[in-house]
Amino acid sequence: MLAALGASLWGSRSQADPLRLRGDALVDTQAETQSPTGLVVLQGEDKLRPWLGVEGLVWAGSKAGPTGDVLVLALHVREPHGYGEVAVGRFVVATGAIFPVLIDGAEVLGRAPWGSTLEAFGGAPAVPRFGARAYDWLAGARLAQHVATFATVGVSYMQRREDGDVSNEEVGADFAAAPAPWLDLAAKGAYDLTSPGIADGRISATARAAAFRFEVFGSEQSPGRLLPATSLFSVLGDFPSEMIGGTVRWAAAPRLDVLASGAGQLVGAELGMNAWIRSTLRLDEKGKASIGIELRRVDVSLARWTGFRAVGTQPLGRGFRLSSEIEIAVPDDPNGRGIAWPWGLLALAWRSNGWEVAAATEAASTPEYRYEVNALARLSRTLEIR
Amino acid sequence: MSAKRFLGLAIALPLALALAACVSVLGFPRGGTSHPFEHRAHVDKGINCVVCHEGVERAGDTGPLHLPSDAQCRGCHTKPHDEGSCRGCHGEASMREGAGLAREHLRFEHAKHDPVVHGDCVRCHSAVAESRPQTLLPKMATCFGCHEHQESWNSRSCDSCHVDLAAEDTPPAGHLVHDGDWIREHGVRAGSERDLCSSCHSERSCAKCHGVGMVPTLPAKMAFDDVPLAGLHRAGFRSRHALEARADPGLCTTCHSESSCVECHTASNVSPERTTRSPHRVGWVSTGRGGGEHGVQARIDPMSCAGCHGGAGEQLCVGCHSVGGPGGSPHGPGFTSTKAKTHDLPCRLCHGTGS
Repeated sequence: MLAALGASLWGSRSQADPLRLRGDALVDTQAETQSPTGLVVLQGEDKLRPWLGVEGLVWAGSKAGPTGDVLVLALHVREPHGYGEVAVGRFVVATGAIFPVLIDGAEVLGRAPWGSTLEAFGGAPAVPRFGARAYDWLAGARLAQHVATFATVGVSYMQRREDGDVSNEEVGADFAAAPAPWLDLAAKGAYDLTSPGIADGRISATARAAAFRFEVFGSEQSPGRLLPATSLFSVLGDFPSEMIGGTVRWAAAPRLDVLASGAGQLVGAELGMNAWIRSTLRLDEKGKASIGIELRRVDVSLARWTGFRAVGTQPLGRGFRLSSEIEIAVPDDPNGRGIAWPWGLLALAWRSNGWEVAAATEAASTPEYRYEVNALARLSRTLEIR
Repeated sequence: MSAKRFLGLAIALPLALALAACVSVLGFPRGGTSHPFEHRAHVDKGINCVVCHEGVERAGDTGPLHLPSDAQCRGCHTKPHDEGSCRGCHGEASMREGAGLAREHLRFEHAKHDPVVHGDCVRCHSAVAESRPQTLLPKMATCFGCHEHQESWNSRSCDSCHVDLAAEDTPPAGHLVHDGDWIREHGVRAGSERDLCSSCHSERSCAKCHGVGMVPTLPAKMAFDDVPLAGLHRAGFRSRHALEARADPGLCTTCHSESSCVECHTASNVSPERTTRSPHRVGWVSTGRGGGEHGVQARIDPMSCAGCHGGAGEQLCVGCHSVGGPGGSPHGPGFTSTKAKTHDLPCRLCHGTGS
């Protein structure tokens, strides 16, 4: 990979796509956070040839001493006609019904002229800060077939081990189709082989008509089966969580969008619901200035709360932009943690010639603190080198 | 004027003004100085496109856009009604900007297409015949009228027309639109078409959320000055994350491992080792049949338990629920497993020979 990166950097840039680099430095005064102090995130991407690409994303900071990690470092090689692709390095594997996993390994994909696709992957699940591994690995594959130019069906298998013990072993099936220009269908399901039963199933159907878009969705999840089978909490038995609902998007006016969603849920033996409606009004043709509001109600098992959120952004000219966001969450059962949890943010950003500077103040009253005020600042630089 | 009529006017006038303001703010078409260029009128008069767009028929993949200058307009319109720039009113800035973006992000040469269509520009730019076109750029479907696309689609080869979809973050506006509640929807959509996703999205866009345990900060925190309504972790998520997790058991597991919950809770002093204050309600654990509420809730949402009691904290459960222990069997009705009871984890914690 380093050789490819070297070749990529060494080669002539004049005829290639630009080498794209971005650096962000974030400072956040929030006391309780996983973020390191003085976070620096560096990312880059290069495509020296149409068949060769490299990308990376690393970060560094200080958290009781220097810390950092590699989030992505991947080399992609592609057969010029698209019949095959290889990815090597650290990247996310997510295909078919297999849940996304960040791995250090390789993925190979082959396409046949008759519409079949075979993917195979293997490697070790990535461990934060290059921690030690002991016989941790995963491997899997997916076989898919295009049907009549508008549908795809696939089957998959994955096995993952932690310290030599099986932590996940599942088979899955997936389906997607667009039988008409206004209709999309998709479904996928994973079946757990360690504790036999459906681990996760999802279905979605969307239709578009004039200013409306409708979606009907459903899901079934077995939380115990989604946990690694090496966890003690995976052996408690099957109390699936089921949800069925719908979403509608209405372009009510050229600059006004309304999106509403509602779903009924069955969690254990309890019926529940969640619903929200949000609306965005763009104040200019490009939407650079906009305001939005959201109302939300959740009433499921031990989670019962009502929320309101409003956002607004306004360009001020000369590259400056002012943004604000407020939220009030009101739990039904505050349990001594405050009757409402308000949160607000005011941010000012400036952008020009690849530079971005942003600063914000965030204030909140949380279940842990009566009040909390934080400051955030970010400096970003985007570069394209030809 | 009677008081009634005055009152009526007093109500009607602000209402009319408010309505007019709404029409303007909501973006409904209204009269203004800028309007789409009168292509249709020029076409009707039989004026060839290249008279104004001089040299466009020889244009390659780079270079100027060949938009007409004021001097070209005044070549025919010798007595302009205004001394200002023609483009100021005739033609909209957004359309010119769209043409510029297309030049930057698409691989296209007019020089190759002109001989094939024998100079008939309208064959692709059909919108010039409309009185108020939204754009004059041909839709992708127009390209597909001549260019067989199925093979490129199947092999996810977008590079022949799109410069670099993934790096430029310029998803095609006319298809694959991520509309509706896309945060929830994208998982099931991506299942069958992951390689299609990667034609526009780089590895980084997945890893920023799905890089379990490695993500240094929430994407929303990193882009704090960008304030869209959508997003799982927006606004005061930290305050309500426990409620969010309980409302959709299993959802957190999509991105987070139990160790990532334990690490954060330990660092925040929200773990059995760091606090003496129990977050659980009265009756959570009892000595009676069923052991109190904790048994049912643990089956509904085991990830929440694992978030504090995972890893070494599992010993808290083993203490009561190991074989022969006072807590009895924690397995629910119908529980089965292919694991070896006395050998594999986690079974051996309770069923092991030493238990």
